[in-house]
Amino acid sequence: MAAIDITAARKSYGSVDVLHGVDLAIGDGEFVVLVGPSGCGKSTLLRMIAGLEEISSGEIAIGGRRVNDLPPKDRDIAMVFQSYALYPHMTVAQNMSYSLKLRRTPKERITAAITAAAGKLGLDELTERRPKALSGGQRQRVAMGRAIVRSPKAFLFDEPLSNLDARLREQMRVEIKRLHKDLGATSIYVTHDQIEAMTLADRIVAMNGGVVQQVGSPLDLYDRPANLFVAGFIGSPAMNMIPAVYRFADGAAVAEVEGGHRLPLAGPFPVPDGTTVVIGVRPEHVTVAAPGAGGRRADVSLVEPTGFGSILHLAPFGPPIKAFTLDRGLGRDGAAVDVTFDPARLHVFAAADGRRMDPAP
Amino acid sequence: MTAPVAARRRPFLSRLADASEPWLYTAPALILIVAVMLVPLVLGISYAFRDIKLLNPFGGGFVGLRHFEALATDEAFRTALVNTLWWTGASVVFQFVFGLILALLLNQPFRGRAVAQALCFLPWAVPSFLTGLDWAWLFNPVIGPLPHWFVALGLMDTPQSILSDPDLAMWGPIIANVWWGIPFFAITLLAALQAIPKDLYEAAAIDGAGPIERFRSITLPFLAPTIAITILLRTVWISNFADLIVVMTNGGPADRTQIVASYIFTTAFRRLDFGYASAIALVLLVLLLAYSMLIVLLRQSLLKRG
Repeated sequence: MAAIDITAARKSYGSVDVLHGVDLAIGDGEFVVLVGPSGCGKSTLLRMIAGLEEISSGEIAIGGRRVNDLPPKDRDIAMVFQSYALYPHMTVAQNMSYSLKLRRTPKERITAAITAAAGKLGLDELTERRPKALSGGQRQRVAMGRAIVRSPKAFLFDEPLSNLDARLREQMRVEIKRLHKDLGATSIYVTHDQIEAMTLADRIVAMNGGVVQQVGSPLDLYDRPANLFVAGFIGSPAMNMIPAVYRFADGAAVAEVEGGHRLPLAGPFPVPDGTTVVIGVRPEHVTVAAPGAGGRRADVSLVEPTGFGSILHLAPFGPPIKAFTLDRGLGRDGAAVDVTFDPARLHVFAAADGRRMDPAP
Repeated sequence: MTAPVAARRRPFLSRLADASEPWLYTAPALILIVAVMLVPLVLGISYAFRDIKLLNPFGGGFVGLRHFEALATDEAFRTALVNTLWWTGASVVFQFVFGLILALLLNQPFRGRAVAQALCFLPWAVPSFLTGLDWAWLFNPVIGPLPHWFVALGLMDTPQSILSDPDLAMWGPIIANVWWGIPFFAITLLAALQAIPKDLYEAAAIDGAGPIERFRSITLPFLAPTIAITILLRTVWISNFADLIVVMTNGGPADRTQIVASYIFTTAFRRLDFGYASAIALVLLVLLLAYSMLIVLLRQSLLKRG
């Protein structure tokens, strides 16, 4: 177990920069999730930590030791691949013991480690099988078993659940979380699935275009996204983005949206009157009620029932927005609802650079 | 249980049509196979038991096992058999080793790889007779550079053709064959190499395997079935492959480079004794069939393991 420190890490292929200087300190035993759309550089960063990609500049240290020039095997990390990368001609037990054998671990220790890992992952019955004879979920488990038998300093996961179906993914997600609780090992987990990121992480690193957008706890990112990218990426259904103009008059801050409608905001913002902004509001924070409750009247143009609740498509003032409600009675096509917004739940972003703005103290 | 009763009651023609249906569908292919493969094969085998000499128009009679009795005491045949082992073994081993090395090199990313790949596969496109002539000339001390280089390297006292040296003559066609056959192994092994998932090498690198260990525990198991089948193919092919020998040495000097295939060729087309040549060919066929069965079994067990 060890801390991992990344300082100004860059990666370029020829003249193309794919990582523009990443700084990240990962604490001992922390579960960090790198999340972002494909091509954002998250896998590249993980592979740089593993030693599978060269570090163009900057420094990566594992357990206080600079590893830039160390080959993967000397970094004492274990990695779980999206494709599992199991050795097809070896049995489950051989797959798991391969790294220990190469490290000349005594036989009894190997057997003990494999028995323990197989027990933990529910693979006891399968140790003599070859990967070909296993299901996707079982292969995934073997890949994790291969990682944990070594008790490495850190676990690296490269989209390990992407090849599984939705139900299995949910199940494995829980298992990974439980495993991390048991082992307490430093883990770095790459995914493009924001739900995986939210549910697993101690801390999320949201990346886009080779740049870290925000680092923080899952709820941090959810409640206080640092910019429009994070706001749009985290959360499903995605946050509504409404273009508006910031107005401050008579001691009250408002956002003027299309058609001159005004949404009250929480407190004055440190920007001049007339600044163009983007108002972000999560669907579950759009309050809808039966007509007559007050607020802006809107017609429901489409309903997406999720069982748990319904997603209503509305256009209370021009641009279409989504609202999430638990009240099934409201979820009828063509029905009218009254829409209100809680000023405290509105996120304000500068339209110019997409950065979050907070009310002046 | 009513179906058989119904079937019995159907008219004969209808049942005949049903029974012959699969045969009618496959007839074009079957007829073709029989005409171009089985008939010549059976004819060739029948020659082995008949007295067929082109110079004796009244021959052609059945002679039983006389050809095989002659074969058992034929010193030239025994020499040819030993030479065949030598020729085939050395050619296949060197072609395979160099082909594998070439494939591994071409599997590495480098600038101009596509051009290098195309160039490396060029010998395969050269006709075998041309290859034989080329190499015969290269070994020729009057017009070829090789003997002079051998002298300069101290391998030879005076520039002379190794093709006329009884102890070295076999190496001439073998070298030409190796040059000509490397691309076959390189192409097939490269294709197999490229089918190995890169993740496995990365996983092994993280697990602590060095380059040699990665080759041993990932590359080789993945290549094994391909290696088995290509070696089988090449062995059968090369032991039947007389072109280079006929062109370069014509079996000489003093039968030192005569292999079974070239002996068959000489017997049939120089001595015009088709009966005896067929008998030799039949023995070669049986030997190669036995060998093929062995390799196929080996490959099956390899595939089952993988």
